[in-house]
Amino acid sequence: MNVKQTFFSSIGQKVVLATSGLIMFLLFLIPHMGGNILFLFGPDLFNSYAAHLHQLVPIVIGIEVLMLVSIIVHMEAATRVTLANWRARDKRHSLKSTPERSLAARLMPYSGGMIFLFIVKHLLDFTIAAPKEQIYLNGHVVNDVYGMVYAQFQHTGEVLFYLLFMVAVGFHLSHALQSTLQTYGLYIPRKGSKIKLISMLVAIGMAGTFAIIPIRAYLFY
Amino acid sequence: MAEKINVTLKVWRQNQGEEGEFKIYQAQDIDTEASFLEMMDIVNEGLTLSGIEPIAFEDDCREGICGCCGAVVNGKTHGSHERTTLCQLHMRKFKNNDQIVIEPFRAKPFQVLKDLIVDRSGLDAIICEGGYVDVKTGNAPEAATTPIKRALAEASMDAAQCIGCGACVAACPNGSAMLFTAAKVSQYALLPQGHPERAQRATNMVNKMDELGFGNCSNEYECAVACPKGIDVKNIARLNREFIKASLMSEK
Repeated sequence: MNVKQTFFSSIGQKVVLATSGLIMFLLFLIPHMGGNILFLFGPDLFNSYAAHLHQLVPIVIGIEVLMLVSIIVHMEAATRVTLANWRARDKRHSLKSTPERSLAARLMPYSGGMIFLFIVKHLLDFTIAAPKEQIYLNGHVVNDVYGMVYAQFQHTGEVLFYLLFMVAVGFHLSHALQSTLQTYGLYIPRKGSKIKLISMLVAIGMAGTFAIIPIRAYLFY
Repeated sequence: MAEKINVTLKVWRQNQGEEGEFKIYQAQDIDTEASFLEMMDIVNEGLTLSGIEPIAFEDDCREGICGCCGAVVNGKTHGSHERTTLCQLHMRKFKNNDQIVIEPFRAKPFQVLKDLIVDRSGLDAIICEGGYVDVKTGNAPEAATTPIKRALAEASMDAAQCIGCGACVAACPNGSAMLFTAAKVSQYALLPQGHPERAQRATNMVNKMDELGFGNCSNEYECAVACPKGIDVKNIARLNREFIKASLMSEK
């Protein structure tokens, strides 16, 4: 295996980008969404889930380290790919019809940058900041994570901020999922591709599922 | 009866190494049966007679098969007639008093040599890295010695339709030459004759493409819309496979 070529050629960089993105999607985004759904079933279940997560510390830390590495690798490769693309377009056409490229594809570097800023804020809101209240649950003292989330989403600004976050995630995923497969060498046709459609539906579905929490907390207090 | 129309041309004029600009010219009494390049010839004749340097553009066969001509016309590579080159675009696609914006194929590796002529030698340089098959010369072998599946032969011929005009590079938001390189790699990767050198072909051609400053493919497929020969993005998927396989399993 030629390491330099594998990771630093144009296709190699894209494989790195696709793979680090896929790791975050499969090992972080999907489990995170699964946990979030429990929020809809009330404080007991959600707090119990949060407490159980704390008992799995070795696994959680392992995944956190993997996420940190993935984010750094993903952003580094994305920066290199994007800058190379901008350099290759030093002079632009004065008129340019772009019938094919999607809005999601066009916005990839920007939605990606937004997601990074949102992740930083999200960690500050819910991971670095400890829950203020503790409650009894089945005879144990546990952190009131449910109450903390609820309190966070009583502010209109916070809710709008998180909804914007979800729009960025949705846009990013809808291009990312199908583009990853094409980069791996699976053929995603230009027209009538089921995978393109599924990619978009998964993106909308995931962004929508994540968005339920702030909306519900805000509207049904 | 053919109609006559008047159109206004807004054409990019540039000498090598100098800053370019758009210039406006009138094309009077153009037969709608004329091809786009014939219209350009008529305009150039007028310019020459009035002492202005004619607009430089490339052309050769004027049958849509050589890959010489090409410009971005009103924002579209090779103009508004799909699946043909600029020489096969006809003036009947325009209306009287239309304004036509004509500019060269743009990308970092395609520097303007003069007006609408750009330096496309980068594409040749990519070919030199492996867009061929090394064979021993001698008598032509018996045709049925190497059986080839009909479907594969057809797919190879589809890829081989690429005429190397560079429209894909101009249409790509990233100035990438992936569709071109993918077509050139695919036409051999699909045939048994191309197999012995497939790993080094994919590797060397992609590395050359990167070295020349072409951008990265972001799977947005503008190239496939622009291609006058209908080269499909399935070739890009194949190039990705060829390259990934070659990178992971190369002996070096």
